[in-house]
Amino acid sequence: MLQTTIAPGPAPTVFLAGEMDLDCADTLREAVAEAARGAQTVVLDFADVKFIDSSGTGIFVRLSLDMKSQGTPLVARNLSPAVKGVFDMLRVRELVGDEVFPD
Amino acid sequence: MAGDDTVSAVIGEIEAGLPLEELVAHAMEALRSERFMCYAVSQSDDFVADELCFVPQGDRCEILSIRANGWQRHHGDHRRSLVEILNNLAAEVACGKLRILDETELQQETRAGRQLLRFAIDDSASLAMARDAVDAVLQESAIDDVTRQRTILCISEAVTNTLLHGGGQGSMTLRRLDDRLRVVVADQGAGMNFLNWIDPPTKKGQASMGYGFKIILDYLDAVGLRTGQTGTTLLLDRKTD
Repeated sequence: MLQTTIAPGPAPTVFLAGEMDLDCADTLREAVAEAARGAQTVVLDFADVKFIDSSGTGIFVRLSLDMKSQGTPLVARNLSPAVKGVFDMLRVRELVGDEVFPD
Repeated sequence: MAGDDTVSAVIGEIEAGLPLEELVAHAMEALRSERFMCYAVSQSDDFVADELCFVPQGDRCEILSIRANGWQRHHGDHRRSLVEILNNLAAEVACGKLRILDETELQQETRAGRQLLRFAIDDSASLAMARDAVDAVLQESAIDDVTRQRTILCISEAVTNTLLHGGGQGSMTLRRLDDRLRVVVADQGAGMNFLNWIDPPTKKGQASMGYGFKIILDYLDAVGLRTGQTGTTLLLDRKTD
């Protein structure tokens, strides 16, 4: 299960914790939508994501492309080893753009 | 193709118009040379395929008829192209990691070893249950953390496939063989249709990227597959010795 905590501010951050699989779409979309109100960008912090699979990755990629087209791009920070391994394997950086990963 | 020059379908049906004599000739050539052979088909009306692969397997030859209908990756599309998916499958069969099982082989392989655990897959809550079950068993083995985590990832991908493409319900069985853990994920869905793997994302954004099976093939030691109109069974092996 995915848990989210929002830290408001000029560049609000959504802290993600737990597991990202087929089940995380609603939770992630709702948290990002709430954080994006009035913001120019939304930061996703992956430090406490213990597991992600291709479904969770696909949901992040889709959301990232959607937010970019809506003018509120996502930024991904603090990728946990579990997330980094899967993102690298699935070449997520190529799919969403280098600007999503400023680290 | 068996050693007696007969061609039989393991997945799907043999389509009318398939030039069987020509297929047998290519298969015999692959068997003689003991090499994986692949042919691109340039004339669409010559074959009902874009690519034909011949994979020697002992006294028989696996024939993969890849029909991609000219599909290619769209610019900016994050999903894998169908050609990429099917070529990946052909390569894994060629190197022996993916075994396409007939019914007799399936019955033998799903009964091998000792059953440790079995439970139903019926909703997304099954994903965490499946991961936890495999994690608990692998924690008792000598495999390293990275291999254990990769195995758990593969199980999650297989259960996801059941939920998305296998009718939404199925079962998972853990079996202990001499040198490996075998996870059997089975469903009674309509069978794998590789064309479905590039379906557009759903409203929830659950993109089917076509990567799940690639992860399974990349990270596990061996995979068995039986799929047809009455369901799909995946045998997922992780060596533990």
